Amino acid sequence: MSQEHPTEYYRTTNSRVGKMLAIMLAICIVGGVIFFSMWDYWISEPPHVISVMAGDVDHSGPAEATGITITQDLQFLESADFRSLTFNAMIDEPGVNPTIEMSVGDKVIFNVVNDGMSFHAFGVTKDTEGFAGVIPGSEIAAPTNPLKPGESGTSEFIAGEEGTYYYICTVPGHRDQGMVGEIIVSGSSGPAVAADPTGVSHEFNLDFVESDDFRTLAFNALPGEEGNNPTIVVNSGDEVTITSLNAGMSFHAFGVVSNPDDFNSVIFDSAIAAATNPLKPGESGSTTFIAGAPGTYHYICTVPGHALQGMIGEFIVE
Amino acid sequence: MTLELQKPRPIWQIMFSTHHTDVGLLYLISSLTFLFLGGSLALGIRAELFLPGSQIIADAMTFNRIFTVHGTTLIFLFIIPFASAVGNYYVPIMVRYKDMAYPKLNAIAFWMIPPAGVLIWLGFADFTWYATPPYSIISAPGPAADMWIFGLKILGISSVLGALNFVVTILKCKHPDMSIGQIPLMAWSFLSSSLIIMVAIPTFAAALLMLLTDRLGVSGFFNPAMGGDPISYAHLFWFTFHPEVYVLVIPAIGMMYEIIPRFSRKPIYSYSSGVFAFVMLSIVGFSSWAHHMYATGMSFTEKTVFMVGTLAAVPASAMHVFNFVATMWNARIRFSTPMMWAVGGIALFFSAGAGGVVNSAMPLDFTTHDTYWVVGHFHLFVMGTIAFGSIGYLYYMFPYVTGRMYNETLGKIHFILSFIGTVLVFFTQHVLGLYGMPRRIYDYPPIPEWIAMNQIASIGAMIIGISMAVFLANMIHSAGKGKFADTDDPFGLGGKYYYPFEAKNPSH
Repeated sequence: MSQEHPTEYYRTTNSRVGKMLAIMLAICIVGGVIFFSMWDYWISEPPHVISVMAGDVDHSGPAEATGITITQDLQFLESADFRSLTFNAMIDEPGVNPTIEMSVGDKVIFNVVNDGMSFHAFGVTKDTEGFAGVIPGSEIAAPTNPLKPGESGTSEFIAGEEGTYYYICTVPGHRDQGMVGEIIVSGSSGPAVAADPTGVSHEFNLDFVESDDFRTLAFNALPGEEGNNPTIVVNSGDEVTITSLNAGMSFHAFGVVSNPDDFNSVIFDSAIAAATNPLKPGESGSTTFIAGAPGTYHYICTVPGHALQGMIGEFIVE
Repeated sequence: MTLELQKPRPIWQIMFSTHHTDVGLLYLISSLTFLFLGGSLALGIRAELFLPGSQIIADAMTFNRIFTVHGTTLIFLFIIPFASAVGNYYVPIMVRYKDMAYPKLNAIAFWMIPPAGVLIWLGFADFTWYATPPYSIISAPGPAADMWIFGLKILGISSVLGALNFVVTILKCKHPDMSIGQIPLMAWSFLSSSLIIMVAIPTFAAALLMLLTDRLGVSGFFNPAMGGDPISYAHLFWFTFHPEVYVLVIPAIGMMYEIIPRFSRKPIYSYSSGVFAFVMLSIVGFSSWAHHMYATGMSFTEKTVFMVGTLAAVPASAMHVFNFVATMWNARIRFSTPMMWAVGGIALFFSAGAGGVVNSAMPLDFTTHDTYWVVGHFHLFVMGTIAFGSIGYLYYMFPYVTGRMYNETLGKIHFILSFIGTVLVFFTQHVLGLYGMPRRIYDYPPIPEWIAMNQIASIGAMIIGISMAVFLANMIHSAGKGKFADTDDPFGLGGKYYYPFEAKNPSH
């Protein structure tokens, strides 16, 4: 295009470049002001799935844990023709599919071994048939990833209410072939019941702290420091007041639980905030409750995963 | 050929215009803004890693936020919009059409980028540009993570709309006198990268929705607590983003195809092999995604298939390099700034490709996986090849956009400093990875070799930072006060443009 240009080319000028820079700078400044003035908001909202995960579990955790633990050993066995499948003994022998009797709040620990040739998986359910409705925490392996011959596993079950439960092989069909046993749960009548209020009151401070890399979470002090996750000892019937400050950057919630692996098993009305509506950084809260039945409990951060990262301490009621 | 306006208009008229050069200018300015924003985060990361322990960043979470936004910004808000800018300016001219095929769609595709950029920058998410599940689902805090997801969603739509526009413009709007075998190689590069975008992006769009519903708790696709599988996210993500690597690199190579023959003052050595290599890359790009996941417990057969699929990209890439070398062979090369960037980019492309072969060899990958080797490798690609090609092309188009000439000396200083800095940072990071330093870490143990290599890398990053300051000053000053450019031959090459329609120029 080297013919004569009909019009002069337009060339950018200083004032236009200046205007453009001013617009860009203004956008960046406005954005920066919004960003830094709302910093806490940006970093403090838990994902909604946490409330779902906290809420969709059937709340079968015990209201009052009794501290009694029953250990039950089970073996998956198969008859030579694979027609009948059972626990512990062949179908007509004594000791087959033992019935477990327990009270509300007792804990059963299952030690399960696959002594057969097939694949099996374990779980406790309230359903009278089928393999669904397995109570979380009670399962060992799963039909999609079962115990292979010779493998073993352990799980726990705490009865939340009276009634009949079933421990089964959760591989489809195996329950119908005989791999099912009963767990009969009676009302809590064990020796460990809550004492009458004693009128004694205690106050504790348990602050949420985090290591710089967020790998380690703890109460009051990081592991290795003075005062890390202090053990709390009270008498049954004492009034306990716990005050917690979130001194970290993440969000936290407090609760005394009967089962430290289950952040839903909060007992004694001891929760401060909740995983669904946690304490934001810098916030604090307190709770007052009466310590119930004697036993060894745990206090944890009820935000999923935080107990595993170290926010867990012992809460002993005598 | 001049690419800006014939007469001055108010800035708001340019902003709300649908003309391809106006939209291209908007793309150009916003992508360069994000280049400087994202680059400054990189300097923060390198300053933090200069020594073990905490230097300038308060904690690990902030560090995660910074490198997440750094990666997201430079990939989605610099490299892709920059390619769109170049495509908007040149593709209609190359196919001899008055504008893009759908001008309003073109403007819409651009105007999705600023809101997406705002979402990403105001949120400052912390789950890496890969949005690592299950962390991104159950732990990543609040609006930040959701804003990132929405921002990426918008950017995905913008990419697909832009790609659609390029494909229709090139295939349906080219001049009837031109066959598809006559359009310049840069238009071919936009055609092939646009086709990749249209095939690859929908997978990630689906994965983003799944990530969002997982965070809301309505689904559990990637949430192990609800029966999901995070590895399936890796498949969905890399099915999009390994081809996306070629989406990034193909336009940059296309830009080199414009620069190198022109400054060599020779026609391209082999047009047909360039076309073949583009098409080949855009097909084999889909056969290699799982090479990002050798360490996730795939079977030997799967790993072998993806290793072979990855290596299939080597011949196609090498064809481009040979084509460039053969074009420059025995040519009267003029090493103006754009040519220096293009040649430097080819050299680094070759080095990065050599490292890539090591990565894709599955037994060796287990040594380099998740170490700084990987960081060095892909940065050598995105910085050494893609950004070098893009910046070279920016210098090349500068006189046509502004009607003024940039300062040649400052441009050369920019190149030399950037080249030295890039080699220092990213070659060192390869070695650092072999010494075992994991990527994405905020602090590291005081191992003398690690400290030494991190310091070399940080110094290299500062050199790049200085060169970018020179670049910014050059661009701003020259846009307002630079010498008037001779719009027929701004680089003094003594020739004419080789577009088919200009070859028929009566005075040629």
